[in-house]
Amino acid sequence: MRILRWLPGRLFSAVIVLLGASLLIFAAGRSLPGDYANTVLGPLSSEEARVELRESFGFDRSLPEQYVLWLRNALEGDFGLSLASQRPVREEIASRLPITALLAAMGMVLTIAIGVPLGVYAGCHVADGRRSAATRIVSTIGISLPEFVVGSVVVFLFSHFDFGLTVGTFVSPAEDFGAGIVSLLLPALVMAIPCIAATARATRNAVIDVLVEPHIAAAIARGETPGFIIRHHVLRNALIPVLTLTAIIMAYLLGGAIIVERVFNVPGLGSYLVLALGRRDYPVIQAVVLLTTAIFVLMSLLVDILTGIIDPRVAVTKAGPGA
Amino acid sequence: MTALTPMARRRGPVARAWAYVASFDGFTRAAIYVLAALIIAALLGSWFGLGGSPTDIVGRRLQPPSLAFPVGTDNLGRSVLPRLLAGVTTTLLLSAAAVVLAALIATISGIMAGYYGGRIGGTIMRIGDILCAFPAIVLAILVAAVVGPGSIAALASIVLVTVPLMTRMVGQAARQVAQREFITSAIISGVGTRTLMIRHILPNVAGTIAIQGTYALSVAILVEGGLSFLGYGVQVPHASLGLLVQEGAVYMVKAPWLILAPGAILVIAILAINLIGDSLRDRFDPREARSLT
Repeated sequence: MRILRWLPGRLFSAVIVLLGASLLIFAAGRSLPGDYANTVLGPLSSEEARVELRESFGFDRSLPEQYVLWLRNALEGDFGLSLASQRPVREEIASRLPITALLAAMGMVLTIAIGVPLGVYAGCHVADGRRSAATRIVSTIGISLPEFVVGSVVVFLFSHFDFGLTVGTFVSPAEDFGAGIVSLLLPALVMAIPCIAATARATRNAVIDVLVEPHIAAAIARGETPGFIIRHHVLRNALIPVLTLTAIIMAYLLGGAIIVERVFNVPGLGSYLVLALGRRDYPVIQAVVLLTTAIFVLMSLLVDILTGIIDPRVAVTKAGPGA
Repeated sequence: MTALTPMARRRGPVARAWAYVASFDGFTRAAIYVLAALIIAALLGSWFGLGGSPTDIVGRRLQPPSLAFPVGTDNLGRSVLPRLLAGVTTTLLLSAAAVVLAALIATISGIMAGYYGGRIGGTIMRIGDILCAFPAIVLAILVAAVVGPGSIAALASIVLVTVPLMTRMVGQAARQVAQREFITSAIISGVGTRTLMIRHILPNVAGTIAIQGTYALSVAILVEGGLSFLGYGVQVPHASLGLLVQEGAVYMVKAPWLILAPGAILVIAILAINLIGDSLRDRFDPREARSLT
């Protein structure tokens, strides 16, 4: 197994990146003004109570000790108390994380389900100059559509005219899964548009590269049908660069979710982060940023391992984001 | 043949710039013209007050576009056209300043990483990897939490978001250049390290810097827009395209022009920059990567 040769190094670098990111997040949290105990207990609290709270959270220790404590608690899922609600950050995250995860997953499904077929179609019709130019301009328009502009316009159109879908009314997927999916469809589509365009373009370029290879000519000579060739020879090879792109798309969707949740009023992790930023609720900011980063780094690790299994030629030197 | 005549070779900078623009295909030329028009309009707005004052209340609230107010008026009765021009100025200036800063950092650290390799290069690349682990808007929010909402937050986020990919691409290009014979021969001839980097490596990675800088500009506009849209970038009474979209979103139903105008300009600017970036990439190095953000 070649994978065993690079996997330990790749795992090691993922751990280093996560540690570095957590250090950055911790430093950002500590550099904010304001005394934690004072904010949680209020200005009228007794000095003893404040000292006790600081001790219970380890604020009386040295910064490196505090970092280790914070990280160890975070690994166990304990992110401390929210300054605004005085409740464990974990509770709020537990109810919001599934919504954002579902939103991002829907975005990913839409990206692949629409982007790959578009790319294959465009890649198989490059000889037509005009269609090729159209592909280029359409895909460039696609990646140039920011979700806060498109999202706002979509909200406007769907609230002004009746298209059969309502916007801004979120249905929890936990209560009614079908209705929940439907209510997340527009936000997922809005943030998937740039990803669809990028995926289509990457697929198109990969298909063009594969189509000129001799084994395709051999397959045509053997009399295999175009559909069979595309499914069995072209797609299998063309999907590898697309797979590497999914890590970048994941980051885009995780970030895009923040804006889209804001636009469409979805109570996910992203809107929690924006809310916390407004209240300078730094335990929440730290927790959500750490969680998002960890999800992204682990996803790109997964993508790298998958790529390594599918295509043994891929060396791990082709480090992606978070590598 | 005409290009080889002495007359043609002695053309001025304007003529040469014109010839360079003319050497691109139709889409890219159109993109360059559109971007130039946006910049000129923004300059006219901020220098000569084209369209009126961006802060004065001149008419009734939420007026639809008319002859007096070409893009209508906003929720306070200010004319939207000068606010749009002010927004374009802020967005472009902020993004351009951030990208220049990012390019400077990325060029220095990328060339160092590519030339020295080993531990120095590894450390630089590792720092870049750590910054890459944050989705762009998440990093921007973290920055806004530390430095507080405002233009500085937007500027710092753009730099932090764009530097890693640029550093990596410049580093890869510099690494390839550093392994070529003319560098070895320059080292043997006793050329100092600084001269080597500036005179021999920098010109050979300039194409990469140009391509990545162009892409970084479109990322910058997106990040500034996203952060300002969330309310933590450029603050009122200043205007930026993202902020105008956010303001417009509130009055979307009554006054759609408030959101459509800045939204359309934002999309057109990003589109134009992306088209130019793609052309530069096709010309210099088709293998260059771009970020999606």
